[in-house]
Amino acid sequence: MKMKKMFLKPSTLVFLLFALVLSIVIPRVSQGYSMMVMNNALIFCVATFGVSVMLGLGGQLSFATVSFMGVGAYSMANFCSGRHGFKLEPMPALLITIVIATIISFLLGLVLMVLRNTYFTFASIALVQVTWSFYINYKPLFGGPDGISGVSNFRIFGWTPANYNEWFYVLVVVLVIVSLLVERIRRTQLGRSLSAIRDNEIAARTLGINVYMTKVIGFTIAGVLAALAGSLYAMHGQFVSGDMFTFERSTTYIIMAMLGGVNNTFGVIVGSILVTMLPEWLRFMQRYLQLIYGIGVILLMVFMPMGLSGLASSLSKSVKRRLKKAKKGGAVS
Amino acid sequence: MNPILRLEKVSKSFGGVVAAKDVTFSVMSGTIHGLIGPNGAGKSTLMDLISGISEVDSGKVFLNEEEVTKIPPHKRARMGIGRTFQTPRFLQRSNIRDNLLLGTDLADQMGYFFSYFGKKGSDFETEMNMYMEHLNFSLDLESDIGTLTFGQRKQLEVVRALLTHPKVLLVDEPAAGLNNAEIDDIMSLLNYAASELEIGVLLIEHSMDMVMNICEQIVVINFGQVIAEGNPEEISRNEAVIEAYLGREMNA
Amino acid sequence: MDIGTLVSLAINGLAMGMIYAMIAMGLILLIRAVGVMNFAQGDLLMFGAYIAWWLFVDLELPIYLMIPASLICYAVIAIVFMLTAYWPLRNATYPAATVISTMGAAITLKELATIFWGSYPKMMPAIMKKPNGKAAVIKIGKITLQWQFVLCIIVGIVLIYLVFTLFEKMYVGRIMQAAAQDKYAAELIGIPTILTTAATYIIVVTLCSIAGTMVSPIFTITNTLGTIQLRAFAGVVIGGFGNIKGAIFGSLLVGLIESYSTIQFSQYKDAVVFLTLIVFLLIRPQGIFGEKIAEKG
Repeated sequence: MKMKKMFLKPSTLVFLLFALVLSIVIPRVSQGYSMMVMNNALIFCVATFGVSVMLGLGGQLSFATVSFMGVGAYSMANFCSGRHGFKLEPMPALLITIVIATIISFLLGLVLMVLRNTYFTFASIALVQVTWSFYINYKPLFGGPDGISGVSNFRIFGWTPANYNEWFYVLVVVLVIVSLLVERIRRTQLGRSLSAIRDNEIAARTLGINVYMTKVIGFTIAGVLAALAGSLYAMHGQFVSGDMFTFERSTTYIIMAMLGGVNNTFGVIVGSILVTMLPEWLRFMQRYLQLIYGIGVILLMVFMPMGLSGLASSLSKSVKRRLKKAKKGGAVS
Repeated sequence: MNPILRLEKVSKSFGGVVAAKDVTFSVMSGTIHGLIGPNGAGKSTLMDLISGISEVDSGKVFLNEEEVTKIPPHKRARMGIGRTFQTPRFLQRSNIRDNLLLGTDLADQMGYFFSYFGKKGSDFETEMNMYMEHLNFSLDLESDIGTLTFGQRKQLEVVRALLTHPKVLLVDEPAAGLNNAEIDDIMSLLNYAASELEIGVLLIEHSMDMVMNICEQIVVINFGQVIAEGNPEEISRNEAVIEAYLGREMNA
Repeated sequence: MDIGTLVSLAINGLAMGMIYAMIAMGLILLIRAVGVMNFAQGDLLMFGAYIAWWLFVDLELPIYLMIPASLICYAVIAIVFMLTAYWPLRNATYPAATVISTMGAAITLKELATIFWGSYPKMMPAIMKKPNGKAAVIKIGKITLQWQFVLCIIVGIVLIYLVFTLFEKMYVGRIMQAAAQDKYAAELIGIPTILTTAATYIIVVTLCSIAGTMVSPIFTITNTLGTIQLRAFAGVVIGGFGNIKGAIFGSLLVGLIESYSTIQFSQYKDAVVFLTLIVFLLIRPQGIFGEKIAEKG
């Protein structure tokens, strides 16, 4: 079975090693508040993988990430905070939430993917505005402007993370699983088909790709990933409020993906961590931080639209080329 | 024996311009059928109509006597219509392997789900090597598609099309941009496709050499209409054809 | 529901619609000229409003100095914006790259405003004031209208008319249109496209900034003023993508929908406006005035 082959691929091993190292190193240097921020970075990263699938593979710019994060977050909040008179266990609630998210994003995908690129982007913006409007206003389901608090913590087989450090391990596991799942998409027919739609839609059609349904599937996957991120967020912070799901926040996920390299698993993770953690690491520059961030985004697009991973890969390619040339030169003389 | 591809009175206009008018012809399996005509005669449009990229205004298209006129392009591809383009359409940002795998994906048609969980499909590399034997360059599957020359990409596009296991192969000006050696190679590959793989090949070409050499049947189009159909000898003697080509040259 | 309220809401809606229309016009001009969706449009409006405040209230320049000074500032901002967020990316391979860089520009503008002028909201006095300092009103029969809103409409009409005349009637404008439609051809005829692009940016930024100045007495100036650009986006799409008349009409429509939705759904006016947008995209993606696009999906 090809799955086995994938697990033994060198790049996968490097990745797992990298995750292992991070899991050992980071809890030693971070505790408390800064660990909480790092956890948030990992949570956002799950949503950013959705951006990677839609924008990186599919070439569709979608702002809908936050809408679906909200679906996940509020679903968990409603099931696990006791505000409707009952309290579900986190794991079952999570499974139900994923099912709900899959249905909603699939239906919305069917509706929105009828639209071509730019129109779709606008529709996604409109979707964000509509959902945000409900998230901050509708009390029965979303707690109105005050949000929903008292969301229960994550629990699996009777164990609950006691602090942010233990949450970190949970999130690393989640992230490794998500990364492998998304990377698998890249390497199979779905990933290739999405790339075909992105790069050459006419060729895609003549190669038997159902452009509409493939885009719907991509949208659904992105929606589910975002919902998963939202669910984790709700359990981690035990509080959900509408200002996490604004249009501005959705631009952040796109930037996270582009910074690291929208089509590269390492890149997505690094990008999410950098964008979330830099404000913490650079606290001393707080006044000018956002400004540098804004300028940084422009510079990134100008000089490195392929992101850090793209930079890394083009560096390694040019190093390889030079080595080849040197070899040839050496062989001749 | 039934034709693998049949057009019946296919017509198409764009605005006021008639691109095709009552075009009727057939292509048999295992043969190479030429589609020639002066520039702007409507040949590429016919390819778009057959593959489904464009919709006909009237008329019918049959694949193995099954009507496909209203069927969208991706379904026609899955039914067995393969094509190449005048300028090869590859994914610039993907490597050669992924580009070719798109062809195998179509042949296997196992669906995203099974592909994800590792169901085994055709042996892509063996098949690819078989086709590459007709061609005179080698492939580094991991390198970008951009590392190939234009001529190589044109040839590779035929390989990709063959990997889809088509019943009909539409080839749009395969010789354009190729040097003589490459033209020989691609002809060898197309001959192989027709004779060994029983594919019905419809070939648009300007190079008369190639057409007369490789095609068993030729259909000639001018101003969107069929003006002649027959074997190379008949065509070369056909008055209407000569006039269409020479007449145009005189006016040019 | 008396007629007074209805008319008042209509005027409010049209006034805000005018603001959105000015933003939308700028969006379309930029899309035509450089092919980029500018996500910093709202923040240009915000920045322009801050500049107006700074010149008028902070430095207390008299109006006959403030206007030319602000125009100069707007022109400078436009050039800087063009050179940083657009020029280096004009041949970008990743089409999303140009859009995302405008998002970076938006953040930069927000932060510059905070750095220059602090984070407390600024009050911009209404242009017409009653002796007791409150905003002036007009009374027509039973209807009371705020002068500021009427002024928005008037200024909006004037500016839009001016821009239209520039582009449709005057030579300079037509050169700019030519350059926008086909850069290559325009260069062959000798039109300096970098100048026309710069001119377009200047016009767009000035439009946005004046809109910002108009809207500031109503909203107070904060660095979040830019969020109203989303309404203008809605207007652009509803009216017809790429079509100036459509964008204006769509924006006015959005303003009216927003205004009237306060009758019933005051808190959910965002939802109403944007649900309308989604519905429009689905049944008539080319908008009210746009031309049919080749194929969907």
